[in-house]
Amino acid sequence: MNVEITDLTRRFGRTTAVSGIDLQAGPGVVGLLGPNGAGKTSLLRVMATAIPPTSGRIRLLDRDPGRYGPRQEIRRRLGYLPQNLGYYPGFTVAEFVEYFALLKEVPARRVRAAVAAAVERVQLADRSAARLRTLSGGMLRRVGIAQAIVNEPELLLLDEPTAGLDPEQRVAFRSLLRGIGRSATVVVSTHLVEDVAAACSEVVVMDLGQVVFRGTPPELEARGQAHGVGDAPLERGYSAVLSGSRS
Amino acid sequence: MIAPPGLRAWQPSGSAGRWFVPAAARLMRLELRHNAMPCLLPLAIALFGVLTYRKTLAMPPLWYVRVDDTQSGLVLDFATSVAGAAAWMGSREARRRVTDLLETVARPRFTRLLASWAATSCWAVAGCVLCLAAVYWATSLRASWGGPLWWPAAVVVASMPAFAALGFGAGVLVPSRFTAPVVTIATFFVVALSTELIVGSQSYWQVSPVVSAAWDVGADPGVATFYPYLPDLSIAQLMFLAGLTVAVVAAATGLPRVSGSRRLRVAAAVASTAGLLTAGTAVDLAGTGTLNAHGMIVIPALHDAADDRPLQFTPVCSRTAIPVCLNPAYAVYLPAAASALGPVLSEIAGLPGAPVRVIQSGTTYQQGPANEVLISLAGPVVSGRPPVYRLLLPDQLGGLQLSPGQLTGVLRAGTDPSVIASVVGDGPGASAAQRAVAAALLLAAREPYRALAAGTVSGVLAPGTPVRQSVPSRGRRVAGAGQGLIPAPVFAAALRFTALPASARHAWLVRNLAALRAGRITLARLP
Repeated sequence: MNVEITDLTRRFGRTTAVSGIDLQAGPGVVGLLGPNGAGKTSLLRVMATAIPPTSGRIRLLDRDPGRYGPRQEIRRRLGYLPQNLGYYPGFTVAEFVEYFALLKEVPARRVRAAVAAAVERVQLADRSAARLRTLSGGMLRRVGIAQAIVNEPELLLLDEPTAGLDPEQRVAFRSLLRGIGRSATVVVSTHLVEDVAAACSEVVVMDLGQVVFRGTPPELEARGQAHGVGDAPLERGYSAVLSGSRS
Repeated sequence: MIAPPGLRAWQPSGSAGRWFVPAAARLMRLELRHNAMPCLLPLAIALFGVLTYRKTLAMPPLWYVRVDDTQSGLVLDFATSVAGAAAWMGSREARRRVTDLLETVARPRFTRLLASWAATSCWAVAGCVLCLAAVYWATSLRASWGGPLWWPAAVVVASMPAFAALGFGAGVLVPSRFTAPVVTIATFFVVALSTELIVGSQSYWQVSPVVSAAWDVGADPGVATFYPYLPDLSIAQLMFLAGLTVAVVAAATGLPRVSGSRRLRVAAAVASTAGLLTAGTAVDLAGTGTLNAHGMIVIPALHDAADDRPLQFTPVCSRTAIPVCLNPAYAVYLPAAASALGPVLSEIAGLPGAPVRVIQSGTTYQQGPANEVLISLAGPVVSGRPPVYRLLLPDQLGGLQLSPGQLTGVLRAGTDPSVIASVVGDGPGASAAQRAVAAALLLAAREPYRALAAGTVSGVLAPGTPVRQSVPSRGRRVAGAGQGLIPAPVFAAALRFTALPASARHAWLVRNLAALRAGRITLARLP
């Protein structure tokens, strides 16, 4: 298992963002669904080793992120796209991705090729020399994805990756996710159930800091068969799960 | 989007350290390309050009004078820009909201912050070296003696990483878009006003890199010409700057919990402490500095006694009746000095007791109360057998630097009468005949009469008299002009003596100079 989480809790002051979550994930694409404030981003940040858990046990890539050495090993194998991507406007696309390749300790002799491949995979090769300040929101999101995958991660954590992408790019992005998910664990936090339906092999629905559903997309769809809210089967399943958890 | 490769082409491992050097080079290249300092370098260089370079090149081509002035000016010109740019770079991650993303990368925070600070420092040092090169090159073209002084240059260069560290530390610790402007303004005031706190030569503030020498003496041409340049203060400043840099960089980049491993943070704490101790020691050493007799700061713990020996040099001499010999560093002034003194020296050449040579001498410096420094000729005006007249050029006394033309005028008004007085015995208590002969010789040398009237004939440069007080200042010399200072009978006798043929005048002096000096010749006995 690349992700093993047991009874994980994360609090910010008096607010409990994640409460006693258990989660295991191997290679494949895991969709993380949930309403605003469900704790998706906090869970991803804990998994990204950006913040430590308040309590509980977490092992990533069969290592303990609580210890410095293993944490560094995890980070070398980790890709992370935060919800709000910060960036340096003066950097070009290639430079920004190269910057992260270097910080992720991609061997120097491989950096150039890794950057070129990552930029190519998000279809920005023709804009690799463009400064970030000149890019649209969707392009910036793709730059964020490029930096996340530049080290060919074994664990890829993406927080709202398709926000700002046009439909054509989203289709291409789902294809990319499926490809990466064949050998790595990809956790995608999203509001868009169609992304989950198209790309994920497993779905986790969170609400109020807890996991309220875990299964495959067809299983989630099945939960919605008797529920009328939502346009798509998966949306109806999602609504049914949330309604069930709150009742 | 294309499909990903099935297997990664490389395996990350804990031995990533072996890739550190090329990776660090690539990281540095990125940081150098995207640093704020290149945007501010033109401003800093322009400030240097307008404020420092022009002023420095207007100074005499003496290494010490120019380098001393350059150190103070260059540090002031660059400090604000460097600190501001570094603060901007230090606050970059938080301003750009990249912190969350960067905390998940493998390479420690310490590494990337260090690269950012190093890039800022590199640009600042490069700009600084460019400016220093301009001054050193221009000086090398005109300096007639001596070599470049590297200690002040080292202090200037070392101050750049230090200011970068201070600014960067502020940016890291207080990341805001307002940090950089606040740091810029604060740096200007701290650097500029720090020198105001220097009182006397024993001041801790001398450790400031703006202070290039004894603050109350400044860029004085009399310093480091006859005696070696003392690096004591520069060494203390380098210690301070190095310690400060290490302490601040280590504290800002390595101490926080997120910076890296426990071992790295312990190392940062040790480095920071060591840096602080070094900087504190340097401040303490600077406080023990005292102004020595040669116009430089001596720090006993750092002083090399070998530096107290006078410099050996071959003077450059004029072809006047009595040679005028200057330190080779002052060779540019020789024509002016020869032109000013030559006529008078022709009048007294060959007289009994007349100097066989006029030699430029060094000055002696004495710290007075508060910020006053007394500068005077080291030793008597006339000494040795055969006698040698020891000349002090006005530039050696501090204050304004003179052009060769200005120097001629000042020497005619001040030194000519003094040279004559040393031969005929003019001075306090001199007889009327002595005064008349002295005046006559000056007149014969076509010296303007106002030089007599300024009162400079009597008693100037008497042995042991502080020169600053005895040499008439430019203002007093003109302001004190008036014919009433010399009584009419004395002046009439002077005119009468001047009217004699030069050979007759000379012959009379050869016969009667001893009696004249003894006061046995009256005004009536003058031919």
